[in-house]
Amino acid sequence: MARDFAADIQDPIAGEIVTNVGVWVDKEVKPQASEFEHADQFPEPLLQGMSDMGLFGIKIPEQYGGLDLSFECYAGVCMELARGWMSLAGIINTHVLVGYAINEYGTQEQKDMYLPKFVKPDMRCALSITEPDAGSDAQAIKTTARRDGDDYVINGQKMWVTNGHRAGVYLVMTKTDTTAQPRHKGITAFLVPHETPGFIKGKKFEKLGYKGVETTELAFEDARVPATAVLGGNEGRGFQHIMSALEVGRINVAARGVGVAQAAFDDSIRYAQHREAFGVPIFQHQAQQIRLAEMIVKIRAARLLTLDAARKKDSGVRSDLDAGIAKLYATEIANECALDAMRIHGGVAYSKELPVERYYRDAPLMIIAEGTSDIQKTVIARNIVKEYPI
Amino acid sequence: MNIIVCVKQIPDPETPAASFKVDEAAKKVIPAQGIAPVVNPYDPQATEAALRLKDADGGGKITVISLGPDTARDAIKHALAMGADEGVLISDPAFASIDNFQTAAALAAAIEKVGDADLILMGRAAADWDMGVVPAGVGQILGLPVVTVAKGIEKDGDGLTVTRVLDDGFQTVKAPLPAIVSVSNEFGEPRYPQLRQIMMAAKKTVQVWSAADLGIDTGASVMPLEALYQPKVESNVEIIEGDTPEEKARNLAQKLRAAKLV
Ligand SMILES: Cc1cc2nc3c(=O)[nH]c(=O)nc-3n(C[C@H](O)[C@H](O)[C@H](O)COP(=O)(O)OP(=O)(O)OC[C@H]3O[C@@H](n4cnc5c(N)ncnc54)[C@H](O)[C@@H]3O)c2cc1C
Repeated sequence: MARDFAADIQDPIAGEIVTNVGVWVDKEVKPQASEFEHADQFPEPLLQGMSDMGLFGIKIPEQYGGLDLSFECYAGVCMELARGWMSLAGIINTHVLVGYAINEYGTQEQKDMYLPKFVKPDMRCALSITEPDAGSDAQAIKTTARRDGDDYVINGQKMWVTNGHRAGVYLVMTKTDTTAQPRHKGITAFLVPHETPGFIKGKKFEKLGYKGVETTELAFEDARVPATAVLGGNEGRGFQHIMSALEVGRINVAARGVGVAQAAFDDSIRYAQHREAFGVPIFQHQAQQIRLAEMIVKIRAARLLTLDAARKKDSGVRSDLDAGIAKLYATEIANECALDAMRIHGGVAYSKELPVERYYRDAPLMIIAEGTSDIQKTVIARNIVKEYPI
Repeated sequence: MNIIVCVKQIPDPETPAASFKVDEAAKKVIPAQGIAPVVNPYDPQATEAALRLKDADGGGKITVISLGPDTARDAIKHALAMGADEGVLISDPAFASIDNFQTAAALAAAIEKVGDADLILMGRAAADWDMGVVPAGVGQILGLPVVTVAKGIEKDGDGLTVTRVLDDGFQTVKAPLPAIVSVSNEFGEPRYPQLRQIMMAAKKTVQVWSAADLGIDTGASVMPLEALYQPKVESNVEIIEGDTPEEKARNLAQKLRAAKLV
């Protein structure tokens, strides 16, 4: 038994949904996650379970067959998924993020074409920004899209694409004007179907953690897409559209941080009461009590920050500051808590017998992807200074 | 086919032993702090059976009944989220500490008030007291056949074919309808609620019926609780010495014989 993880969710229906997802995680994910993880195997049965519950349509509007649930609910669900296995919340991340981008910025034709298909995982989505020479500095991308009659021809190389082999459609950031100043005015986002000729799926990376879900290279060699594939139909808007969608991604990653930290804590507080050293359970040693107390304070703060950012996004206003604060804090504390769990478990933490080593390997991804912690700090500082004009 | 499913909310059976406490004077279990009650684990299987029978039959209505405090709504909501149609909560301070027979009387009255039921499904037992007698009690009061511990239920013409779990095998029986069937864990895993159905269930109103609404007086308990206490478990560990495995085995055998265990 553990605490009621839905208790901080304000909307009662969202709370019930999160509770139900949590039950599924405890029964289906926790017992199997390590096996899939160690084999770096895509968890088809778990994907099926997520699909049966309707998780893939969680943010798709009802008119397209989705559930149109709140970001608060989505954040709570992602926390629970990550409490079982961080990769599951990653599988759904780019899917929800691209669905959001299409719903917010896509043309009616794009919405009609894609959104009904996103309700099930038959057509999944990937997001492709990063390149060999452009990560944090996304505006430095070199992939180009050249207009050719009614088409665009895309050329370039992409890196670190999560869901890169199994997606049906890719939201790809390109440059349609390499000389534009400011640079973002030359950036255009395309919806590229997986079967596009000239669109090549490259190698899958061997990773420290975040296993089961594939992260890959992609290449575009004269990949031809119709002009109707431009997200929203207009050139030069891709950067704003993707940055707005990344707010959704940051809420997801913040929630993953909370989930992993909670899992690390749950295992630790139980272990500390079982394991004896110097004649008493190690929990009786004050150093361990302090460590566990500090963990739960951080986790609670991270949970509330993340739900707060999600509710801000629900209110329809820009939430890059709130999402940035939540992402920075929740992912940093996830790393701290994963390491604390290692300390509390001692030697056995270092073995693959327990999931603690998995939390420790999964946690660093979250301080890197969707904007590193340094980048979150610059986003936070840039936003907050506007509130203190002199 | 109109089906009524009876579900019960119980203290979480996964409650760690250290958190499980009884108030011996009040003869009550003290709810464990911070551990929410749950649906009796056999009951979702009864709901699952109802959903499958309704699907196979191509129509009808599933009504969920629970007797318990206001929190028992959650047990009803869970069944509604799985796909049941309507919910009724039987709640009355008069029912706070009733026995199995009084429970059966209240459920029987509610089943009659719902009316028109072809089949009544329940879990094989409630995992808190683990008596498993309520289905028989309801059957007795309503004069209906009772088939217990089912692992398979199929509509068969105007009746049912039910496969029962026995200690040493299985037994297949036929029953006319209406009937009462208690469902066992061998029935198979209940479905997980879909998000959409959780949303729909949350919007449904659960009717609340009191003892007066049911027109019953539960009367005195026929099986009053005499005492409730936690057994004291004492265990000792002894390491059996010996230089060789054979000697250790011999020493162990001697100890077991001395303790009259073999
Ligand atoms: C497993 C995994 C999955 C991923 N999935 C995707 C995906 O699906 N799609 C996608 O497009 N990308 C994905 N990424 C890429 C990820 O978003 C980038 O790795 C991340 O944005 C950092 O970029 P970089 O790796 O190029 O690091 P760099 O940008 O080279 O950063 C290196 C270091 O420099 C620091 N730094 C850079 N700029 C500044 C600055 N202005 N101020 C202070 N410090 C700075 C960074 O914080 C970091 O510490 C994934 C990455 C990983 C590891």
